[in-house]
Amino acid sequence: MAQESDLPKTADKGKGKAVDDEKKPQDVDGKTPANGKKEEDQNASEELSEEDQQLKSELEMLVERLTESDATLYKPALEAMKNSIKTSTSSMTAVPKPLKFLRPHYESMTKLYDEWPAGDDKSSLADVLSDIGSWGHEYVRHLALEIGEVYAKRIANDEATQELVDLALVLVPLFLKSNAEADAVDLMSELEIIEELPKFLDENTYSRVCLYMVSMVNLLTYPDNEMFLRVAHSIYKKYNQHTQAMVLAIRLNDLGLIENDFEAADEDPALRKQLAFLIARQGIPLEFERSNDDDEKIYECLSNQKLSEYFKSLGKELNILEPKTTEDIYKSHLESSRVAGMTNFDSARHNLAAGFVNAFVNAGFGSDKMMLVGKDKDSWVWKTKDEGMMSTVASLGTLLLWDVENGLDHVDKYTYLEEEQIQAGAYLAIGIMNTNVRTDSEPAMALLADPDKLAHKNPLIRVATIMGLGLAHAGSCKEELLSFLVNIISDPEESMQVSAMAALACGMIFVGSSNSEVSEAIVTTLLDEESGSRLNDKWSRFLALGLGLLYFGRQEEVDVILETLKAVEHPMAKPTAVLAEICAWAGTGAVLKIQELLHICNEHIEDGEEKKGEELLQAYAVLGIGLIAMGEDVGQEMVLRHFGHLMHYGEANIRRAVPLAMGLISPSNPQMKVYDTLSRYSHDNDNEVAINAIFAMGLLGAGTNNARLAQLLRQLASYYHRDQESLFMVRIAQGLLHMGKGTLSVSPFHTDRQVLSNVAAAGLLAVLVAMIDAKQFITSKDHYLLYWIVTAMHPRMLVTLDEDLKPLTVNVRVGQAVDVVGQAGRPKTITGWQTQSTPVLLGYGERAELEDDQYISLSNTLEGLVILRKNPDWEGEK
Amino acid sequence: MGQNQSGMGGGQDPSKSKKDKKDKPKYEPPPKPTTRIGRKKKRQGGASAAAKLPSVYPTSRCKLRLLRMQRIHDHLLLEEEYVENQERLRKAKTAKDSNAPASELESSDRMADERSRVDDMRGSPMGVGVLEELIDDDHAIVSSTSGPEYYVSIMSFVDKDLLEPGASVLLHHKSVSIVGVLTDDTDPAVSVMKLDKAPTESYADIGGLEQQIQEVRESVELPLLHPELYEEMGIKPPKGVILYGAPGTGKTLLAKAVANQTSATFLRIVGSELIQKYLGDGPRLVRQLFQVAAENAPSIVFIDEIDAIGTKRYDSTSGGEREIQRTMLELLNQLDGFDDRGDVKVIMATNKIESLDPALIRPGRIDRKILFENPDQNTKRKIFTLHTSKMSLNEDVDLEEFIAQKDDLSGADIKAICSEAGLMALRERRMRVQMADFRAARERVLRTKQEGEPEGLYL
Repeated sequence: MAQESDLPKTADKGKGKAVDDEKKPQDVDGKTPANGKKEEDQNASEELSEEDQQLKSELEMLVERLTESDATLYKPALEAMKNSIKTSTSSMTAVPKPLKFLRPHYESMTKLYDEWPAGDDKSSLADVLSDIGSWGHEYVRHLALEIGEVYAKRIANDEATQELVDLALVLVPLFLKSNAEADAVDLMSELEIIEELPKFLDENTYSRVCLYMVSMVNLLTYPDNEMFLRVAHSIYKKYNQHTQAMVLAIRLNDLGLIENDFEAADEDPALRKQLAFLIARQGIPLEFERSNDDDEKIYECLSNQKLSEYFKSLGKELNILEPKTTEDIYKSHLESSRVAGMTNFDSARHNLAAGFVNAFVNAGFGSDKMMLVGKDKDSWVWKTKDEGMMSTVASLGTLLLWDVENGLDHVDKYTYLEEEQIQAGAYLAIGIMNTNVRTDSEPAMALLADPDKLAHKNPLIRVATIMGLGLAHAGSCKEELLSFLVNIISDPEESMQVSAMAALACGMIFVGSSNSEVSEAIVTTLLDEESGSRLNDKWSRFLALGLGLLYFGRQEEVDVILETLKAVEHPMAKPTAVLAEICAWAGTGAVLKIQELLHICNEHIEDGEEKKGEELLQAYAVLGIGLIAMGEDVGQEMVLRHFGHLMHYGEANIRRAVPLAMGLISPSNPQMKVYDTLSRYSHDNDNEVAINAIFAMGLLGAGTNNARLAQLLRQLASYYHRDQESLFMVRIAQGLLHMGKGTLSVSPFHTDRQVLSNVAAAGLLAVLVAMIDAKQFITSKDHYLLYWIVTAMHPRMLVTLDEDLKPLTVNVRVGQAVDVVGQAGRPKTITGWQTQSTPVLLGYGERAELEDDQYISLSNTLEGLVILRKNPDWEGEK
Repeated sequence: MGQNQSGMGGGQDPSKSKKDKKDKPKYEPPPKPTTRIGRKKKRQGGASAAAKLPSVYPTSRCKLRLLRMQRIHDHLLLEEEYVENQERLRKAKTAKDSNAPASELESSDRMADERSRVDDMRGSPMGVGVLEELIDDDHAIVSSTSGPEYYVSIMSFVDKDLLEPGASVLLHHKSVSIVGVLTDDTDPAVSVMKLDKAPTESYADIGGLEQQIQEVRESVELPLLHPELYEEMGIKPPKGVILYGAPGTGKTLLAKAVANQTSATFLRIVGSELIQKYLGDGPRLVRQLFQVAAENAPSIVFIDEIDAIGTKRYDSTSGGEREIQRTMLELLNQLDGFDDRGDVKVIMATNKIESLDPALIRPGRIDRKILFENPDQNTKRKIFTLHTSKMSLNEDVDLEEFIAQKDDLSGADIKAICSEAGLMALRERRMRVQMADFRAARERVLRTKQEGEPEGLYL
């Protein structure tokens, strides 16, 4: 009869997926009475077919018989019951009918069980009971659903929930046992008892649970997200996964927790070094007492001092130490031939572009064919003029990036030259080469934080010095610098350019620290009635950016500032507020914020009037959409659609910002669909849209050597060979594309794309804000603003080290990362891998894993600098 | 989508506008940015790829998936809101510009006017041709069914994204220029196979066969309804099943029940239909069949009497034989080829499984082979009760007698016995079927069944 009993079920299920969901609750209804959770649901019986009715009455009769006193009838009754349960063939998704009918009697039967004397009958009854009680995973799931719903209802009605929690706690181990960690976490988060989770875990389950939790964080709202991170953190700590715990601590941006984790690895110096690498990658300024040699070494790791050395070893291994010339990058022989020869090769602007390209392409290698050449007279500097000289000299900074010791010697001679632009460039170079690196002697501070230079009569030198300080100490939160810079911000006599740069530098240094002193200084400048005219200056946007950066990633904390800004009447106030807000919510993927920003973009601005502030407002909003969405995969793809609409409906100011935002959303990650769109925009009627699109293409491919992008850019170069400004931008984009000869990345996300580096994102944002009005800044005189991108530059390498920090060559598999969350079994974490020996380059979305078990990696993610330890159990390949 | 508009602008306009500028008289247009036109593209890919929604992982039921879906939903809502607002603003603006309340009417008038003008340009009647090759953005080579190929121009109002080599296009009757695209290019023969009206047979009309029903549902229905169960288990759901067994054991009946029950698209075809008159038509039909199935996914393809094309391959000199084998090879490729077919399940039925090509029924193509046997006693009883449940029986009818007999009866035979008995009763103008009728019917059925089998002849 079984297939008939299946019938009604399939009939109401039959109409497919859509109705399926409705069906489940109904199933649940059938069961819940037994849990005493809901009143008896009799509706179900009405739709029962004849056969079911028969079956039901039969079963009821059996139960009846059990409750009667005649003991001899028990046995056959039970046998019959068991039989009907066992023989029921049913689809996997539904509870077998007999069980469903027996449910209402569950309680009375358990009572019976207690009353009965021990014996065969009793155990046989127990069998039946447990059959009902433990019917499969599907059933437990339904229970979980029910508990969650009832909980929500009770919370809404202010009723007691303790028993539900108790029930849930019974279910959780069941889930964990059957590999359904997702259900366990879901249930607990639904009941808001996620803190209880760690005690149910063991070595086998914790990693899957944590993986699931961590991948949920991006989609949760405060405070759930933080709670999840903290719980996952404590779980990792419990199972001694220090590096993973540290990554989460960094994500939480909780300095105390980071310090704690760092101290926790006290006994193991190698592990500490590994943790130090992680901290250094994020650029967190950690105070560290040094007492012995080992501590010195750890400090070295913590302050990134060896970065240059490792990077160069990577270059040596990949055989790319040979400096590249700009012609290697332009490949003008591949540009369409009729254009060749027509370009004026020796224009100052062309040479300046070459300077930038050279700076980006040979970045960090410490050798090139233009600047670091034997005789001073051969230096490329003399082929450029005015501000160009400054940028060209500053390119020394990127060439010698991270290499503070050697770098200073090279730059030194330029500081003595007469030309003030060259001096300015030299100061900037000093700042650049110190980016992301800290040394005891603080050369940048010693050389740049000098009242002579900060109060130099030439504003260019002042700007360069300030920018240098900002770059060199980005993210360091150095209080000492405040005394030098804060005055400049609030000094009403100072030109806006210098004040704004000082504000930006402060923002960079104290990024995400909500430092009150700086924010006060900036806000008072904004509030100052007299400076109203100063605020009309084009530079005032960087003042705003400086303020925004202070609250980078602080989320709600920014509201105070937003309130204050409402008091400011100047038209700059609104854009400032938007900028502060997008910084605060950067990388969170918060949909509500994106909605607000889209609302801002709704209005169309009538041109002609004094609407500069409004225009900026919308441009910032567009950038903000990119900035906020960049943290989370789904949002990242979805905002591309928004950008399409913005491009379609938006006015010029919005259209100009869209390509930039597209660049921001996937830096160093050339996705086909993004650069296809950008390549179309790069031919836009509006030249500024085109310029921005070209720059965005450079950003998109930064440091990837992507051949397709390179070809597109070459086409653009011949397309725009007569348009100096566009051509300049094409060259810069080409330089970005081949950044560090294809070894660098400007993606602000690191450590398996989990952690957003504040400093890097801030640097990118600074460049993009300057690009919003490219014609006023980058393509005119203030191209040196491009150097803000240096904070985001990082080698995309994997270098393996032994415990004494000596480079170690091992074989690793490098392949595309696979999202393994919630997958059954032990799925591979990478796909399409190739085996290479370290050091290797890792592309965007690529992951590495060790080929064999000879070594154990101290870090969980093989990325950047990783320390390996010999596996004691390794027996060699025999 | 927004990209399109700017895409068009990026395509042609800049060169024009740049040319307009007087200060750059010698300006030459650069090589055009890559156009998509004329490239063969996948159905779902192409221009809409950027507009496609991201896929959501993990596939199992969990909150993470829910959250990700919600996120997509939120973004779509935002998009809708923005576009609505913009459209409203745009309308408001045009209303303000024209300063006339009747502007809407006017614009709709204009639309109608323009449409009729386009219709005029199209002319009537229009010829139907096949696009052979795209020369550039405005010209193409087409061939009409009557034979000759033409080099023709493409009218500007034709949606060029839809043009691809092999597409059916509308041609102007005089100038033969392309005036439209026919998008639906599947063979009408395939769309006939789509089942519009579900058969009336349901699982309830099947006596016995519990095991077979369960296996079919596990491998065909359940993967379409609950793919996550398989995902969680970490297995790939079966791609197809083959039903085999003696004639009259209910293979087609079961397929009908599946069709009756499922909400998926059900395509049914008989193996012999795939044998076509012209060379290459058979394989093409197979391809189109699976294409339609993939477009309407989730879907179930039922191929009855697969032995018509699925016999073992052998060296054959007959062109017809070879064509049939090629059709099978195409089927092999569609079942487990390079392209993933997605949610398409295949059910095949045959009563000569031993004659099928082993490649056709290997695991991976057909994962489950389900045997249909002649009914045992229990099943016989069920089948008898099924068929007699609506008949008016005399009291003396005792079906157990037939059930107990060791005749080799199939389900179809039992049905024949029942209806034969009914006919007998009808002949004698009786209102009820008697036991005697059943006995006579059984004799007749068994006798005709013996006759059909020639082994006794030569004894």
